[in-house]
Amino acid sequence: MSDTMNIEDYLAQGGVLTAPGNVPARYRGELLRLMSSFVDSELAASAGFADAINLAPGIRERIAASRITLEKADHAERVLRVMAEFGTDAGRYQTSHDWAARVERGADLGAARRPGDMRLSVFHYPIAGWTDAVVMNVLQGLATGVQMTELTRVSYAPLAEVFREIAPREARHAELGREGLEQIAQTEAGREEARAAIAYWRPRVAAGFGVTHSARHDTLARFGLRHSPNEALLARWQALVSEHLAALGL
Amino acid sequence: MARFHPLKVTDVKRETRDAVVVTLAPRDEDRALFDFTQGQYLTFRRDFDGEELRRSYSICAGKDEGMLRVGIKRVDGGAFSTWVNETLAPGDEIEAMPPMGKFFTPIEPGADKQYLGFAAGSGITPVLSIIKTVLAREPRAQFTLVYANRQISTIMFREELEDLKNLYLGRFSVIHVLEQEGQEIDLFTGRIDEAKMAALFQHWLDAEAVDTAFICGPEPMMLAVAASLRAHGLGEGQIKFELFASSQPGRAKARPVSAQAGAAGEGVAATVTLDGATRSFQMPREGETILEAALANSMDAPYSCKAGVCSTCRCKVLEGEVEMAVNHALEDYEVRAGYVLSCQARPISDRVVVTYDE
Repeated sequence: MSDTMNIEDYLAQGGVLTAPGNVPARYRGELLRLMSSFVDSELAASAGFADAINLAPGIRERIAASRITLEKADHAERVLRVMAEFGTDAGRYQTSHDWAARVERGADLGAARRPGDMRLSVFHYPIAGWTDAVVMNVLQGLATGVQMTELTRVSYAPLAEVFREIAPREARHAELGREGLEQIAQTEAGREEARAAIAYWRPRVAAGFGVTHSARHDTLARFGLRHSPNEALLARWQALVSEHLAALGL
Repeated sequence: MARFHPLKVTDVKRETRDAVVVTLAPRDEDRALFDFTQGQYLTFRRDFDGEELRRSYSICAGKDEGMLRVGIKRVDGGAFSTWVNETLAPGDEIEAMPPMGKFFTPIEPGADKQYLGFAAGSGITPVLSIIKTVLAREPRAQFTLVYANRQISTIMFREELEDLKNLYLGRFSVIHVLEQEGQEIDLFTGRIDEAKMAALFQHWLDAEAVDTAFICGPEPMMLAVAASLRAHGLGEGQIKFELFASSQPGRAKARPVSAQAGAAGEGVAATVTLDGATRSFQMPREGETILEAALANSMDAPYSCKAGVCSTCRCKVLEGEVEMAVNHALEDYEVRAGYVLSCQARPISDRVVVTYDE
């Protein structure tokens, strides 16, 4: 059996690519774009959470925030290693932006990425206090969980493998957030503060799902780099958020 | 950045009429770099008439054989595989990157695992490395291999597989599927397609017992096997793929001699192709990169770092001349083939034609 088929047809039928050497040019561009967005978001998230360590009210919360800071950086490194196989200069890449840089708290970026790095827009906003950090982590953690259902089945097998390693640890980060929020929600003052943070972060995390009816989605779907449209993922996240917050009386 | 190291050819053994097995030894100082994991591949490079050719071949040795070995089947019209099959000899040196690839599962010596392997033709090479390694290092593991070939004479590693069957009696079995030669059982004649997979699962393979399945072969076979495994309940994490060597793009052709550089200050006629759509527009000679011009003309060109580091924005110059401010990502052979980082590239000719599709 030596017959081959056109690589685009193969991908459209759910085929999997396994090495930089068998990746077509356009696929390469979109794959790198997807990876760099993830790497930049994780590095920015880690940098943002580093500050939250000192906001933590107790030792357990401090350990949770440290762990999130550490592991998000580790996840960035794992994906950057896959990028390096395509030629990315990993050493230069990790120092190419100020990952801790944030905009003004009141700024409205919408879904647009800012010039500079490719982090999701939500990671441009500053964290204001412990409750704010926990709420952001819960909402974004649930979003990451939804996005992982896409990322763990991207058609580039070496990357899908990395995401499958990362996914359970990212899920644990969201869980840590949930535990923190449970603590906060035990008092009326805590719930009050949490509601304000939810009002701030919910639309900003939602923007990370991208525009509806994205034209790029069709290209990515053809390549097997995406499977569900943005609006479907967003709807799943909205449902998850409502369910989680309701359980906490928020 | 280029990560090539010389390997010494210590043996070239003819495996079938059109395939050889090449044994390689790294320099002492590179030994740790070439300490592979079963199922990984090596990428070689060699100059053919001034054009650099790169080819990846899977390692077929097991972890415990203490050597680096690849099986290379001659592909019709394939410059690299033909050269290896006809010219390469012991004592020669060949350049390779350290082993890459994730076509494996971590070894768990105490685990009671059941593996399934599907290989077609030279797709056997990484699967053989995995078979040898898991049978040796996971004493309770069992492996069933379904191996497709045209005919008996083209089966690579036929004897070695027989030896493994005897060495690991009861733990390793092989089902040969031959396209052109009838066998006693009809099931084993033909090719691995949807119908064959259904029949195999009905009579020979127990999907529920399988921990991990490895597939290496051409695209249609990979699709058929993967679809069947999923239909029998295997999850994405349980199916490992390796697309085999013939599916690599052809050689990076040297670029035609380019047009003359124009005088500074004038506009440039730019033509950019993305996703099969071509746009022509004027862009300033100075102050704008190819990427910025494409984006300004509503083309959704890929990019990320905009600093010449990540290579997301790579495109190919088909006509004209451009200059990159910095390049930390593309290797010399890519640049010689006409690739540029569009975030760093400014035209220096009156006309420039680039594509993101090649």
